[in-house]
Amino acid sequence: MLKREKISARQFRILVILSFVGTTILLVPSTLAAEAKQDAWIAAILGLVFGLLLVWFYNIVGSLFPNITIIEYQERLFGKWIGKFFSLLFASFLFLNCSTILFTVGDFITTQLLPETPIQFTILFFLLVAIIATRLGLEVFARAAEILFFWVFVFFIILILFLLPELEFKNLQPIFENGMRPILRGAIYYSSYSSMTNIVLLMIFPTCVNNIKQGKKAFYIGTFEAGILILFISLYSILVLGHDISSRSVFPTYILAKKISIGDFIERIEVIIAFIWFITVIYKTILYFYGSVIGFAQILNLKDYRPLTLPLGMILIVLSLTVFPSTLHEAAWTATTWIPFILTFSFFLPLLVLIVSVLKKKIKGKR
Amino acid sequence: MKGKQILLLILIVLINMNTGCWNRREINELSIGTAVGIDKSEDGYLVTVQLINPGEVASEKATERTAVTTYRASGETVFEALRKLTLETPRKIYLAHIRILVFGEEFAKEGIGKALDFISRDHEFRTDFYILIAKNTKAEKLLNVLTPVEQIPANKVFTSLKISEKAWASTYHVQLDELISGIISEGKNPVLTGVIIKGDPETGMNISNLENVDPPTTIQIRYIGVFKDDKLIGWLNEDESRGYNYIMDHVSSTIVNVPCENGKVGIELIRTKAKINGDVEYGKPKIDIKIWVEGNVGDVECEVDLTKTKNIYALEAKVQKKIKKEIESAIKKAQDNFKSDIFGFGEAIHRAAPKAWKELKTDWDRREFQDLEVNINVTVKIRRIGTIMKSFQKEAKE
Repeated sequence: MLKREKISARQFRILVILSFVGTTILLVPSTLAAEAKQDAWIAAILGLVFGLLLVWFYNIVGSLFPNITIIEYQERLFGKWIGKFFSLLFASFLFLNCSTILFTVGDFITTQLLPETPIQFTILFFLLVAIIATRLGLEVFARAAEILFFWVFVFFIILILFLLPELEFKNLQPIFENGMRPILRGAIYYSSYSSMTNIVLLMIFPTCVNNIKQGKKAFYIGTFEAGILILFISLYSILVLGHDISSRSVFPTYILAKKISIGDFIERIEVIIAFIWFITVIYKTILYFYGSVIGFAQILNLKDYRPLTLPLGMILIVLSLTVFPSTLHEAAWTATTWIPFILTFSFFLPLLVLIVSVLKKKIKGKR
Repeated sequence: MKGKQILLLILIVLINMNTGCWNRREINELSIGTAVGIDKSEDGYLVTVQLINPGEVASEKATERTAVTTYRASGETVFEALRKLTLETPRKIYLAHIRILVFGEEFAKEGIGKALDFISRDHEFRTDFYILIAKNTKAEKLLNVLTPVEQIPANKVFTSLKISEKAWASTYHVQLDELISGIISEGKNPVLTGVIIKGDPETGMNISNLENVDPPTTIQIRYIGVFKDDKLIGWLNEDESRGYNYIMDHVSSTIVNVPCENGKVGIELIRTKAKINGDVEYGKPKIDIKIWVEGNVGDVECEVDLTKTKNIYALEAKVQKKIKKEIESAIKKAQDNFKSDIFGFGEAIHRAAPKAWKELKTDWDRREFQDLEVNINVTVKIRRIGTIMKSFQKEAKE
């Protein structure tokens, strides 16, 4: 058995926000604009509603196992072998997703900031932080999140305020031009990046949160706050850039930050604004890495998870470089495989866990 | 404990050694580009880059050499041509600080879309430079002209455009993303402001051009070039350009001269606001343009008694008529001569009636735009008459 670490509900809320915003802030404005055109912001609201429904579902699933992680619970529920099989699948899913997150951030830095630096090094430095954070443990990086979240908030406010003069409200019209279908598709893509990937939190929730009742509330509030943040970003990318440019750019949020120009004086601050997603993406990486390391440790019944961090980290660097052969491959994968892939692990697997556990209880009750 | 301290020391030393980025580029290894010009050449594109001569710009005493140098290279793609420049330039060119991008007129007539892809794809370019057309000449020639007062010609064009747009309103700055959305939009076509060389281009290249009080060759910003998709098809004249800017709500200030008894009155517009509303009635598209103008009397060169409100109303009516005429001439030219919807009327229809637009857009430029009914409504208010009341013109004559 691993030692349990405890975090407060407030720290959990911040982790929810950082993980939700994670890579979403980089990828989603473009996808939403491509799907829902000028109605991208409606899709963002709808996606937030989906997110809250999903939190409701996770809270129900989470309350099945208040003192253990989902991986341990699966073993208890399905028996040793089938349970280990499901747990291995789930831990591998977390591990694989961690590599795609690293690919995304490496891709961003290579495309926009440091085109000549080998991507291995940008990924290596990101991963090093994640490994150190994981070795120090949940309590430490949750506390660090409290400090860093302040800066995410400050830079977000700067972005929102400084872009006010650039808003072009006619970019929003006509509303509902293409009906609900594209909006719905956009919303599903959006929640697949944000709320669905928050399944990783079931590795720390509710077992590591010191007050489960408050923790559940924090899950809702965190998702809501992060959803509002993404709503603003996608609304702004339509208002400032228009849906054409938003959907055509790979990283519209960065283009958005480039647009800041106050009195020919405050400009070219996009790299400072990029701190928002450097922090959120690193936390998403940390959570996924921590989740998969804890998961593997629990499958193998280790007393300490730390010996796994370095070997898994080394594998992860190679994996993140080979997981997609090119950015185009990533785009094709996102368009076809991603949604069923994420749905399997973030919806159907917990649903299966829930159904089996309810059935088991009923059978037990009959006896 | 001691081991930890040593480790800390080693880390601090290592951090100091690792401060540089991987692809750091020191300022003394770079040539800062201020302008890029694109023309067509036999094998594709002729790219001209104007670079700063750091020694001349920074030094305090006047030097014999010019503040900028231009290099040119041709290639099958813009990217290739830019890289080929390194054969000639002493340092690597850094393009994140360019102020203007100029297309030659001939090149613009054949379409600028292909060249724009590289510029929006490359990470080094930002989107805050102005894009212009070298009217009646090649971009290559234009970037060679040296300018007085503002040492760097690209900066001169940049600031002139900015100032003339604010104070005279017959020009308009277009940046990369606006140009691209104009090209791809179905209900709008882009425009670009023109730059012309006034005088002999050959003398403009020489530093002796700057040794005159009245330089023989200068650069002037003039006229708005009309595009159809990505091809330049013609030019609006001064009045039509201003008419275009009234419609697009780009006018912040300008001067309107109106006739009065034995002379003219100059009105300074200080605030304008324009609104385009689209509508579809019985399947026919319709556009309403509402323009509010606020102005002051700035120059009275005739015998009009400004103390009487009646005369102010008469002036308002004259200004209103003149503005309306400029707007009408711009619309007429776009509809009849160019058949290109540069005003975004199609987009206004799209916003107002998305369902009807789906049918209209198929031959918007070809038919619907040309027969479009446009109602123009101009409201003029003259608020102030300046620092003197009655003009002394009348007394002077007596």
